Amino acid sequence: MSTEILPGSKVLVTGASGLLGRSVAQRLVDTGYEVTTFQRRPSGVSGARDVRGSLTDPADVARAVKGQDAIVHFAAKVSVSGRRDEFERVNIGGTELLFDEAWLADVEHVLHVSSPSVAHAGESLIAAEAGPADPLHAEGHYAQTKAEAEQIAQARASAGTKVLIIRPHLVWGPGDGQLTARIVQRARSGRLPLLGTGAALVDTLYIDNAVDAFAAGLRRLPMIAGQRLVLTNGEPRPIGELLAGIAQAGGAKPPRLRVPPSLAKGAGLAIEKLWELTGPHEDEPPMTKFLAEQLSTAHWFDQRTTRQALNWQPAVSIDEGLRRLAQHIRRTGRVL
Amino acid sequence: MVNRLSTVPRLFPPIPAASARLPFHTLTQTPLPGLDAQWSRLVTAKTPDGPRGFHVLDTADALADRGITPTGTILAVHGNPTWSYMWRSVLAASVELARPGHAWRVIAPDQLDMGFSERLEHLEAPSVHADGYRRLEDRLGDLDGLMDALEIDIEAPLVTLGHDWGGIISLAWATRHREAVDAVVSLNTAVDQPAGEPVPPALRAAMAPGVLPSSTVLTDAFLKVTLSLPEGGLDPDVRAAYRAPYVSRLGRGGIGGFVADIPALAQHTSRTVLDETSEALRSWQKPALLLWGPKDPVFRDRYLADLLQRLPHADLHRFEGAGHLLIEERDIAAPLFLWLEDTFNPEASDRRALASPPPAAPIARLHDALEELTISWRRTAPAAVDMTAEQGDRTLTWGQLREQVDALAVGLHELGVRRGDRVSLLVQPGNTLTVILYACLRLGAVVVVADAGLGLRGMTRAVRSAWPDWIIGAVPGLTVARTFGWPGRRISVDALSTRQARALHVEASVTRLLRRHAGALLQQVPAPEPDDAAAILFTSGSTGPAKGVVYTHARLGALVALLKETFDVKPGASLIAGFAPFALLGPAIGATSVTPDMSVTKPSTLTAAAVAEAALAGGATMFFGSPAALRNVVATAADLSAEQTKALRKIRLVLSAGAPVHPRLLDEVQEIFPAAELHTPYGMTEGLLQADIDREGIHQAMRTGQPGVCVGQPVPGVRFAVAPLDETGRPAEELAEPTDVPGVLGELVVSAAHLKAGYDRLWFTDRLAARDTDQGLLWHRTGDVGHIDDAGRLWIQGRLQHVITSPEGPLGPGVIETPVDALPEVARSAAVGVGPVGTQAVVSIIEPEPGLRLRYGSSPLASPDFAARVRAATEIPVAAVLVVDELPTDIRHNSKIDRTRLAQWAQTVLAGERSGAP
Repeated sequence: MSTEILPGSKVLVTGASGLLGRSVAQRLVDTGYEVTTFQRRPSGVSGARDVRGSLTDPADVARAVKGQDAIVHFAAKVSVSGRRDEFERVNIGGTELLFDEAWLADVEHVLHVSSPSVAHAGESLIAAEAGPADPLHAEGHYAQTKAEAEQIAQARASAGTKVLIIRPHLVWGPGDGQLTARIVQRARSGRLPLLGTGAALVDTLYIDNAVDAFAAGLRRLPMIAGQRLVLTNGEPRPIGELLAGIAQAGGAKPPRLRVPPSLAKGAGLAIEKLWELTGPHEDEPPMTKFLAEQLSTAHWFDQRTTRQALNWQPAVSIDEGLRRLAQHIRRTGRVL
Repeated sequence: MVNRLSTVPRLFPPIPAASARLPFHTLTQTPLPGLDAQWSRLVTAKTPDGPRGFHVLDTADALADRGITPTGTILAVHGNPTWSYMWRSVLAASVELARPGHAWRVIAPDQLDMGFSERLEHLEAPSVHADGYRRLEDRLGDLDGLMDALEIDIEAPLVTLGHDWGGIISLAWATRHREAVDAVVSLNTAVDQPAGEPVPPALRAAMAPGVLPSSTVLTDAFLKVTLSLPEGGLDPDVRAAYRAPYVSRLGRGGIGGFVADIPALAQHTSRTVLDETSEALRSWQKPALLLWGPKDPVFRDRYLADLLQRLPHADLHRFEGAGHLLIEERDIAAPLFLWLEDTFNPEASDRRALASPPPAAPIARLHDALEELTISWRRTAPAAVDMTAEQGDRTLTWGQLREQVDALAVGLHELGVRRGDRVSLLVQPGNTLTVILYACLRLGAVVVVADAGLGLRGMTRAVRSAWPDWIIGAVPGLTVARTFGWPGRRISVDALSTRQARALHVEASVTRLLRRHAGALLQQVPAPEPDDAAAILFTSGSTGPAKGVVYTHARLGALVALLKETFDVKPGASLIAGFAPFALLGPAIGATSVTPDMSVTKPSTLTAAAVAEAALAGGATMFFGSPAALRNVVATAADLSAEQTKALRKIRLVLSAGAPVHPRLLDEVQEIFPAAELHTPYGMTEGLLQADIDREGIHQAMRTGQPGVCVGQPVPGVRFAVAPLDETGRPAEELAEPTDVPGVLGELVVSAAHLKAGYDRLWFTDRLAARDTDQGLLWHRTGDVGHIDDAGRLWIQGRLQHVITSPEGPLGPGVIETPVDALPEVARSAAVGVGPVGTQAVVSIIEPEPGLRLRYGSSPLASPDFAARVRAATEIPVAAVLVVDELPTDIRHNSKIDRTRLAQWAQTVLAGERSGAP
């Protein structure tokens, strides 16, 4: 048995229509893997075989996993609205189904993509480690169902499948329609006032680094299976400065920091209000509440285990990432 | 509460006898955290009134399981109202540290009627005269029986360990079996209650005859109070474990019995045994260790002083901030077993052979210069000039100084001050202090210097820890001493009215002693030996409570020799004393000491004019100052008259000591003292002069761009070594030669003849600070981190606890501060780490140049543009840049940045919480 999953291997990437899934699939194609993607829409990954279907349909899933050496499982329902059963169906049911079909098809390796929010609920995270998934305390349907999905992945790991869990934290960069585009858009229209001190230290992850790390994770999966790793740039920054940096990259003025004396007690509350005040809910990024917490309390992680396991260092610093983002926006006129 | 309890009817429901039990069998609901069931056993012992059942903790089986034969036994005796559970950390450590050839078996019995041992029948309430309660004598008999039953290896070392009432019992037992017991160790206890002196109020309440049964047996008030003593409270499970044997009234007979057995009155039954023990201790020659928690409402420092007086050779560690249940507040197992190792492991005794490097020049006695100058033609030249005094009283000649020192030494001796007595000086610098200081040194009295920079609370802590026999002070100092209840007999500086003297408990005055003994001859007063303690100086306390640093006459003599050598002090030299520790040595180095007109607590109030006036009055050639004083001298230089300006041109040497000085400030100082060499010596309370550099040297060093502050080359007679840091910022145990690790970040370690003799009453701290034995030398771990470059220069980056442990490895703050300080917007900066050790994020905190606004809105964050400039200045990734109006600094020197405080502040701010200024 090889100790690494090398180029030439057959890899299924689920959820390759999102920025991260698509970019990772593309990277795998470009480095010589035989890539199949699996999602409802066309993936847009050139050189990959698209299998279109639903994660909740056993026949679709069986078709996708057939003959694969490994699976990278990005597909999930990422939204704040929607009924609980919707999340359960995709995030829990879909993950369970994928593992079942993978087992039947003798697919040995799964890289399960999760989120740091599965282990935490609103408290300050200071150089936090990747704690165990905790569905009872995770906040919101997304985090709760992803926490259960992680527990399924972990259970399957003990049943014999080699599973690596990676939890990327706040991915941003060119092409990111969730966080990056919305910050730029609001800053340009002067609708990004920052209440509070903006000093909470927050870890983020530049898109290119995420892609490198996932590629490394897949490759080294046989050696590091069983671990769960939070993935960030390892460069925590005050949230106010990050938002200012992204706004400036988009050609907008940095948001004004304001500390109304009436809000002097709870910065967290203020940030939550901000997101409520700054626009209609449907228009908001899907993880409003999650983000609100991100903005008001420290969220940064111990990256030593991650870097050692992946044998990887982020190639793009935050400052370099901001330069690249600015260049991209200047050249194309938009984030996406 | 006491009043209410005393109204409870005086009915005492009888308590039936009950046999000993095993806690792990008895308790189903109460966990016993830290206790191993294997240690727990029942033993029947023949006691004076027949066989009795004891519950005993014993590590014999645990050691046997590991195939280790004990080489010694520790008998640990608990007090009231605790049980053997209190010793669990000692038992655990004994098993953990055991190795073939070095292993201690720990035996910790529950006393009879206590813990899980047998309960006696009690038909009447506990009182001084009640029958059926164990007395001190009975308890000693119990121990005899127990030790027989346990089959102790009598040939191997036997050590007793006690706490509270168990301290008395264990010490009494040890003195009665002094041929079998090889060492004694005690935590807070007392072996004497002077019949005339009141019992501590905390105990008096529980002991009142009408209250005693209620407070100890009928209710658990006494138990509750004892368990509430540890700061921050006990862990609930631990607390429950302590309470477990005493939950019911039926279990608490022994608690009341113990309290009733306190022999507060001279005619008490147990008084005889107590007196026998306290006397017998005086002849205890074998090793002794005292571990003490001073915040004990019952066993207060005066009982410690009493123990020390009986056991002058005892090693003592006084855990500042800890209290009665010391063992729950501090790790006592580590010092205990290290001490046992040193005491009973012959290899460890090599430590005592450690030497210091030879001194820079032959050591002189502290009085030599004074004696020589008195018989030279300089007899009439000024020795001390005091600008704080009235015009006519300013100057003492060498002859006058000598006469006054001799007169006061004789006077103090006649009053009863003896060699080895501790004398706390609460006197402002000036001629009077000089006379008192040298009189004490001549007598061999140990001078205790706790400077006002510690603040009143800090000074009180320091004085209580040193426990002076005498206080010599001016009225303000004596008033403080009275208010805060400082120990020591009192001597005032000025003669006081009878009324005032009585109010301040003053029994003599320096003025009257000088007058009465003018012209007295010193022959009758024995002089101190070189290895006698001469002074105790306190550290600034910026990193925990201030520590007392002990200097012997020989070590101060070596410092005097070094000062003369390094700064080329010639006869006729005259120094302006703006920095206390060096300035006090003026008479010893044979230089005139000029005390400038300044407030000693506020060095930043020293003006240029005051320095110039001092220079004029004393013909000064040298100026010793602190950075804060220098800053103000520069700030007030414009006010100098032509004559004053001229006086400062005669100064040949300016020393700035106590903290690093910015080279920009030195350049400005140079303009005021154009003829002077500017030196910034490096040292610490534990070794006042270790390295030195002058202004040119600093500029030269800074051009090399190395991180930190360059403090120059070691001065003659000083050896440096480096203990490189590991990833977690911990210094290596092995020392490296500076030439082998040029540029490597580490703790600086020093060896010299003029280093401290030790820390006062901090046996463990002292032992750890001096743990290195490289090249047979006695080293001192400075706690300063930095590096030594390939030119042999020392660079300091802060204290050990200021090291930032990033995931890439340990960083000295200087790596970030030095380049950031060079930005024109920055007045000064501090770099700190936030987050847990090993994965900290770097934060740069900026104090802007006056008038600059660098903040992001009203947030403590720096504006994004300025933050970018800071990040660009250093190669280290900086997570956040924060801006404050003023960086907090230490009280004593007002110039060392308090990075510990800043780190806590930054952590709060960057967690997203609200916070004011640091």
